Amino acid sequence: MSVRPDFWLFLLVLAAGSIACRFGGFWMMRFVRIGPRLDAALKATPIAVMVGIAAPAALHGGWPEWLALAAVIIAMKVIRNDLVSAVAGVALLAILRAL
Amino acid sequence: MSASGTSGETRVTFSLAGFWRGMKASGPLGVSVFAYGIAFGLFAKSAEMSMAEALLMSGLVYSGSAQMAAVSAMGNGVIPSGAAAFAVVTTILLLNARYLLYGASLRGWLCQVSGLQAYATLAVLGDGNWALSMKRHAEGEQDAGFVLGSGVIMFVPWLFGTAFGLLTAGVAANPTALGLDFMLVAFSTALAVGMFKGRTQMPVLLAAIAASTIADRLLPPGWAVMSAGLTGGLTAWLLCKPEEQP
Repeated sequence: MSVRPDFWLFLLVLAAGSIACRFGGFWMMRFVRIGPRLDAALKATPIAVMVGIAAPAALHGGWPEWLALAAVIIAMKVIRNDLVSAVAGVALLAILRAL
Repeated sequence: MSASGTSGETRVTFSLAGFWRGMKASGPLGVSVFAYGIAFGLFAKSAEMSMAEALLMSGLVYSGSAQMAAVSAMGNGVIPSGAAAFAVVTTILLLNARYLLYGASLRGWLCQVSGLQAYATLAVLGDGNWALSMKRHAEGEQDAGFVLGSGVIMFVPWLFGTAFGLLTAGVAANPTALGLDFMLVAFSTALAVGMFKGRTQMPVLLAAIAASTIADRLLPPGWAVMSAGLTGGLTAWLLCKPEEQP
């Protein structure tokens, strides 16, 4: 359980970078008045980010990933529970990868 | 805290009940983060990091992709300094730039609780619990404790996973075989399907898909998510009808 002396400096710089991103967006919005256009943009951000996480994974994946994504979408349409649908997709992927 | 730019028409709370609700809702994400933590622990071990160093990094940086990048730069046990350290920090800023968007989008909700509560929530925020919280908020969740609870249930397994991976290097199961690397992707897809309101959102979706695909092809890792968020937001900004202005 030891920390090398020069690791501290490296770590603190990394942590500062990470924390600046975590706190920065929230803090900066203090000085911005949220009008209807900005409100619409911020409200659209979540679904855009979700798609932005999924699309490259679909692009890099093969049949197992595509089938798993299709299973998630179908499960979501049928049972309307996000976590159960996601777990179902992951379970299907684990099975397909084991085949 | 001055509440700038918020409607204030709904009462925001920060309660233990909301905290528990968040924890329960993102439990399965905690399992996948634990597995990802193991992967990081194994990687940290291969770079000859000590337990204290790995745990400090997981606690203070708390970003899987950024930590992997930092540890890659520490090959052979040499800690980067000067220009090499600067390159790592730049990478981390790029990989984590999406958190600027996450924080900005949480402003309207979290500015109504105390600064300590808001910044503690942001300190343990992750992709999965941010996405989950934004969806639940759109559905009427007002308790900001939900965001903290759903974050803590991912942050703590991240630390335990890191320690577990470091201790079991060489014997731990491969999380990829269990499909756990796919959890965030599957969960994001499910949330997007759940949030989809119909045809009016198609331009935002198509713009986000195009932006993330292009960024994934042309830009360094970590840019796809940020590009999708910015492009989707910009599309909504451009499509916003002026007559909706008060």
